Amino acid sequence: MIRRRSALLLILPAGLIFFGFVIYPLLRGLQLSLTDASGMGGGKFVGLDNYLAILKDRTAMTALRNTAVYTVVVVVVQNGLALLVAFWLYKLKRVRNIVRAGLLLPAMMAFVAVGYLWSFIYSPLGGPLDTVMDALGLHSLEKVWLGDPNMALMAIAAVYIWMYTGYSATIFLANYLAISPSLMEAAELDGASGWRRFRSIDWPLLAPSLTINITLSVIGSLRVFDLPFIMTSGGPINATQTLSLVIYSRSFTDFRFAYGTALAVVLLLLTAIVGVTQATLLRRREVDL
Amino acid sequence: MNTSQSSRRARPLWVRLHGSEWVSSVALLAFMALMLVPIYLMISVSLRSEADSAANPFGLPLEPMWQNYVLAFQNMHYLRSVGNTLIITILTAVLTVLTASMAAWAIVRYTRRWTRTAYQVFVAGLTIPVFALITPLYKIMQQLHLLDTFAGVILAYTALTMPFAVFFFAGFLRSVPAEIEEAAAVDGCGLLRTYWSVVFPLLKPATATLSVFVILQVWNDLVVPLVFLSSDSHQTVTLAVYGTIGAHSFSTAQLLPTLVLGVIPLFCIFLLLQRYVVAGIAMGAGK
Repeated sequence: MIRRRSALLLILPAGLIFFGFVIYPLLRGLQLSLTDASGMGGGKFVGLDNYLAILKDRTAMTALRNTAVYTVVVVVVQNGLALLVAFWLYKLKRVRNIVRAGLLLPAMMAFVAVGYLWSFIYSPLGGPLDTVMDALGLHSLEKVWLGDPNMALMAIAAVYIWMYTGYSATIFLANYLAISPSLMEAAELDGASGWRRFRSIDWPLLAPSLTINITLSVIGSLRVFDLPFIMTSGGPINATQTLSLVIYSRSFTDFRFAYGTALAVVLLLLTAIVGVTQATLLRRREVDL
Repeated sequence: MNTSQSSRRARPLWVRLHGSEWVSSVALLAFMALMLVPIYLMISVSLRSEADSAANPFGLPLEPMWQNYVLAFQNMHYLRSVGNTLIITILTAVLTVLTASMAAWAIVRYTRRWTRTAYQVFVAGLTIPVFALITPLYKIMQQLHLLDTFAGVILAYTALTMPFAVFFFAGFLRSVPAEIEEAAAVDGCGLLRTYWSVVFPLLKPATATLSVFVILQVWNDLVVPLVFLSSDSHQTVTLAVYGTIGAHSFSTAQLLPTLVLGVIPLFCIFLLLQRYVVAGIAMGAGK
């Protein structure tokens, strides 16, 4: 019904915008990363110099490691917690909607607001968290949450997990609700219960939502920028430096455009490699079941 | 019939579950309350004096100090910031919905090798992080004189949301039979007529969900305005929160009202359109 010319016409606007502001910048970035361009003029071809410089850039290497640690922690803890909450929500029909709405509220907040709010909560000068810990007699466990190099990255990960656990739980719950109730009842009657039942019935049936949730949390945490930007600006001593943060500061503070783009290419490759590996693994698992 | 009978036979188990259901419900509500403590703190401390909240951050605002908000309101140029954000958000949503739904319509109903390739190119963009292209994008915006303009920001957002939007509309259209459109074509409707009076109304539920998502993402984003908008008159809400707190002293009576003002519009949208937000998340909508 749609003719060739019409199809072309219909795809053109979306295609032009997408090409002009995503594909072209990516290609341009690849080319830029092989030059010595700065904030102003062009720059001449320098081959792989920028990429070699990354290897010698302590901050960038630390950022790479931090990003990886952060991603693993967020993906595992957030999804584990969300799965528990979803199971809980599934069981308790009466409070389901209100609790889901409550848990989604943090995900409706802008990162900037969340970042400043938690900086206040973590504050070492009579901040609410320390107040609670004092009241519970846990004074000895208190840290300068965002000022301790061993603590800061995890403190930020905790905030991200706080924001998005309800979000992931909503996805798991939707999957739970789509499973036919008779299947669940049959399991109940077979006397399957507890861990064994979860392992052999719920877990395999939740494969589709697991794929979505892991993908979303991996993408979200590999690109982490706003929270460390607001809460620590990468400190103390680079403990919360992330890849996106380094790309930003090299490009727009130091105006080393070419170097910033080279780092961006690394981020893109990393996302692509992790994405493809994970898609293959998770899909294979879905097929196996 | 069979299943209801068998569950009746299993009654003792259900009774036991029923007894504990009350306890677990209370436990779950308590868990939710715990997760909402930061939001309670944000609101309650925003209405109290510096000294009062320093003494006990968890106290109730018994005598709410609304004047805390007056200063935050002025410092943020609140109405202007909300206005700017509204312009950017609404135009991005409209542009994304129109272009992506047209493209998805062609992709789904005109299946040739090249349209399939086009679809794959769009979808490949799903996982591209904004930081992977922000530096070259800055240079391109500079050359097109789009730096510090709403047009530049809107185009950037539209392009970044395009993969998800095309993917979302295409998925929705595949579940809709083509017959209605074909009937319209037989009736002699032109292409745009068919799109506007047949396809677009058909997509309504998908459009609603997607729009809520675009609003959520664009409204809360700091990165794009931080990099591409520089003049005060173009400040968005997130930029206003960032700028106000960065520039002023860090007192709770100033900090928290700013945050509350920053998040309140979206809290309202969430409460009003919760159904669409939940539906969108459940479909695995991007964040």
